[in-house]
Amino acid sequence: MSTGDTFLPRRTSQRPDLPPPVTLPPSLAGNPSLPYPAIGTELHELRLQIPGVQGSVLGGVDGLLITHDVPSALDPDDLAAMAAATFGLGRQVSLRLGQGEFRQSTVRNQSGYFAVYAVGPQALLSVVGADAINVARLHLHAPPVAERLAKLLAST
Amino acid sequence: MPLSSEIFSFNLERHVANLDSALKDAMTIDGAIGIALVDYTSGMTLGVAGGTPEIDLTVAAAGNTDVVRAKMRTIEMLKLNDDIEDMLITLGSQYHIIRPLNGSNGKGLFLYLMLSKTRSNLALARHRLRTIEEQLEL
Repeated sequence: MSTGDTFLPRRTSQRPDLPPPVTLPPSLAGNPSLPYPAIGTELHELRLQIPGVQGSVLGGVDGLLITHDVPSALDPDDLAAMAAATFGLGRQVSLRLGQGEFRQSTVRNQSGYFAVYAVGPQALLSVVGADAINVARLHLHAPPVAERLAKLLAST
Repeated sequence: MPLSSEIFSFNLERHVANLDSALKDAMTIDGAIGIALVDYTSGMTLGVAGGTPEIDLTVAAAGNTDVVRAKMRTIEMLKLNDDIEDMLITLGSQYHIIRPLNGSNGKGLFLYLMLSKTRSNLALARHRLRTIEEQLEL
């Protein structure tokens, strides 16, 4: 018996048939030509229309903030980064399972929610919600908002 | 002796069958358009039956969650110290009956029944829904 056999069994990695890496255009963050007022209205409306939404952030898949509508208690840069991390996990899951594009991910904690929605291939909408939020309503309402945001981002 | 996982899956199947049969039973009420069992802490549905291509019961569930919450909050604010037995909403062409579950394992859930006004008997439908709610085991 070689010394290598005394170790606990290890998982040998299986290489899935991964598609070639996507090359994205330059980061959307800091792009001055984006329609910020229209994006701001969409984010603001989301907060007004669904009770329990504490704030929302539009960020790039690179984790950089594009714009936000969150109260000062929340750090929008942090939220944009966490959205990208959530997206990263979702994308890996999807690649392994062959389920296509990332759409949405929800984290539920003891006293609140953090939901991330894909906004086209390049951006993410993240929403912070109170524990009492009607999360089904959020899931019905947010995808059309994400679609409109994707159109606004693509229009530049 | 069966493995615990077998017991678990057996129970799970029995419960799902019970929910499905309860929803199916509710659809046999005269004039029933659709029925949903909804969790009002999240607005998500545990099960739906019926509905039409125009009426999405998951949308109805999410919207009516806010109705149930508002009524419960009002009862609390008025310090009535009571529970909702059922709620009736009358439309031009439909009745909507909302019935929160009372059993200890049904906490936080409500049944939502849509009826056609012309084809239903409201008193009978309300009675049938109460029976279904009482027999529903989760």
